[in-house]
Amino acid sequence: MTKLHSSNAGTFAKMSDNADSPTESQKDDPPTQQPPTEDSGLVDEKKKIDVLLKAVGDTPIMKTKKWTVERGRTVHSLSQFISRFLKLEPSEQLFIYVNQSFAPSPDQEVGVLFESFGSDGKLVLHYCKSQAWG
Amino acid sequence: MSDDTDSTAASCYLDEKTFRLSCGLFLEHSSFLNDGWAWEEVNGSEKEGYMKKTVMVPCRISSTPCQSNQSRLVDGDDALLEEEQLCDQDEAVGEPTAAEGQAAVRYEYHVLYSCSYQIPVLYFRASTLEGRSLSLEEVWNNVHPNYQQRLLQGPWDTITQQEHPLLGQPFFMLHPCRTEEFMRPALETARAERKGVNYILTWLSVVGPVVGLDVPLSYALAVGPPAPKAEATTAASTASASASTSGPD
Repeated sequence: MTKLHSSNAGTFAKMSDNADSPTESQKDDPPTQQPPTEDSGLVDEKKKIDVLLKAVGDTPIMKTKKWTVERGRTVHSLSQFISRFLKLEPSEQLFIYVNQSFAPSPDQEVGVLFESFGSDGKLVLHYCKSQAWG
Repeated sequence: MSDDTDSTAASCYLDEKTFRLSCGLFLEHSSFLNDGWAWEEVNGSEKEGYMKKTVMVPCRISSTPCQSNQSRLVDGDDALLEEEQLCDQDEAVGEPTAAEGQAAVRYEYHVLYSCSYQIPVLYFRASTLEGRSLSLEEVWNNVHPNYQQRLLQGPWDTITQQEHPLLGQPFFMLHPCRTEEFMRPALETARAERKGVNYILTWLSVVGPVVGLDVPLSYALAVGPPAPKAEATTAASTASASASTSGPD
């Protein structure tokens, strides 16, 4: 298992290109900050995809649901982001589903998911939190 | 689920017949991919069987066992470390770099049906190329970073050692108690959009990566639920035979 996620750290929402430095912290921007990125038409459209996040179950809904994400970002990285955003407890596991009912591998790149499951120019991902095991 | 003859429409559980049929559909695609899954019958019984697969997995087998407070996360996202919820994870870099990716471990996965839980359960065993069985700690260490944090909250709640119910040999098992918790959202979401779900596929896609088992993306597109009239729909010869099926015991 490689450290794919280490290079995907950093800013998420606006998806700046210098998302390599981990310390370029997200600043935990509250969702009220920048509007979601409808303007995905701008920056390197090809390198980024639109993702729509939908909560399921008792999982809190993110105020910002639509994000522009680099294709190379992994599911794991995305999961970390959402978990952080939602301030999940350490005992809570976040699950992400594509096509409603399939959990992609954590190492899967969202760009690949978009190619297979994207429609109307976006990739819809469902997410839920759970205590999961035990 | 499309199999409304059972209570699965309302519950997140799985009856044995649907288990077999769902496995059958799963195995069809596996056969197409030639990725190694097979159906094993027990005692020549058509009713009792499980899915099985053996694979070589690169992993981190370090001399540092999983401590209760030590994180094995290798996440380089320092931003996360600023969050209090990760106060235990200061040791973001706990990887034996030299050994990482070098060692290959043989994982053998079994997908069994649990009558008592009415759900599938994942058993597995792991050994080095030299034939040494991995310890529980090594198995924990090998859990994907995506699940490490949760794992550390209760390792024994997650992966434990159990006797294989059919083989009677020591295996590891991914604890099934809360299967319903992560299955429910997926099942309900799919139902809400009038989509059938292959329980085994959904379940395995969630639990597999936790223990190094990859379920390729193509399964998501290729494998559907058993047909509503889930009799001898013969999804695959392996899953057929519901002649005497009268549901679970």
